[in-house]
Amino acid sequence: MNTGSSVPPQAGLSASCEIRIDNNLSEITRVADMVDDFAARHQFPEQVLFALNVVLDEIINNIISYGYEDAGHHEIAVRVALRPGNVEAVVEDDGKPFDPLAAPAPDLTSAQREPGGVGLHFVRNLMDEVTYTRRDGINHLRMMKRLAP
Amino acid sequence: MKLVEAVAEDVMVVEAYGRLDSTTSKVFGDRLISLLQTGRGSLVVDLKNIAYISSAGFRALLIANRAAAGRDGKLALCGVTGEVRRLFDIGGFTSEFLIFPTQADGIGKLRP
Repeated sequence: MNTGSSVPPQAGLSASCEIRIDNNLSEITRVADMVDDFAARHQFPEQVLFALNVVLDEIINNIISYGYEDAGHHEIAVRVALRPGNVEAVVEDDGKPFDPLAAPAPDLTSAQREPGGVGLHFVRNLMDEVTYTRRDGINHLRMMKRLAP
Repeated sequence: MKLVEAVAEDVMVVEAYGRLDSTTSKVFGDRLISLLQTGRGSLVVDLKNIAYISSAGFRALLIANRAAAGRDGKLALCGVTGEVRRLFDIGGFTSEFLIFPTQADGIGKLRP
């Protein structure tokens, strides 16, 4: 099974792995498999692995479900890099421009609340830093989590 | 994701294992609804062995919770600890569910 490529340590970059997936929800399994392998190899703290898996599911699900204006085939790139003191996940897609940081916070008090919107709320809460840029028709989302809480 | 099902004191118990995310939550939610519709009406869902839960998993739980209430049944959760518990709090879900520390506590409260 292909769980993406892995790069050995280099200067300034401890280790990284990368996978390219199709815009199909079942592909998220391959991302989670890659993250699990990478985390096991580098002994990520449990809460860091948990957070990475949750936010990647939220972001990729969002892209696949709402990001495209056509029904065609698209590729999404996911990279995870271990750096001194933190882990960084980068997701790149060619869907329509979408800044998850600009999405409104969900109303957590309403009794008949709808669950939509809470996914991006998780991303903002679980990560220590989230940066969005749009370049050359590509959304770049970079999410950083510190290894020590 | 894997579900292990049992019946104890007329209460159904479902233990979830693995990932509750956008690839698995449809099957998970459909199974909970189907169990709620087949009779007993009381269901304890044990989350202590899940790897993680994303908003798709919460959505399935919320829908099952409403389905249970709509049939005068009850859905209870247990094993909500650590990072899973933290997500319940971040998402404001903690007050939406009946949550017990263990399966035995949930079964004790839900049994007819």
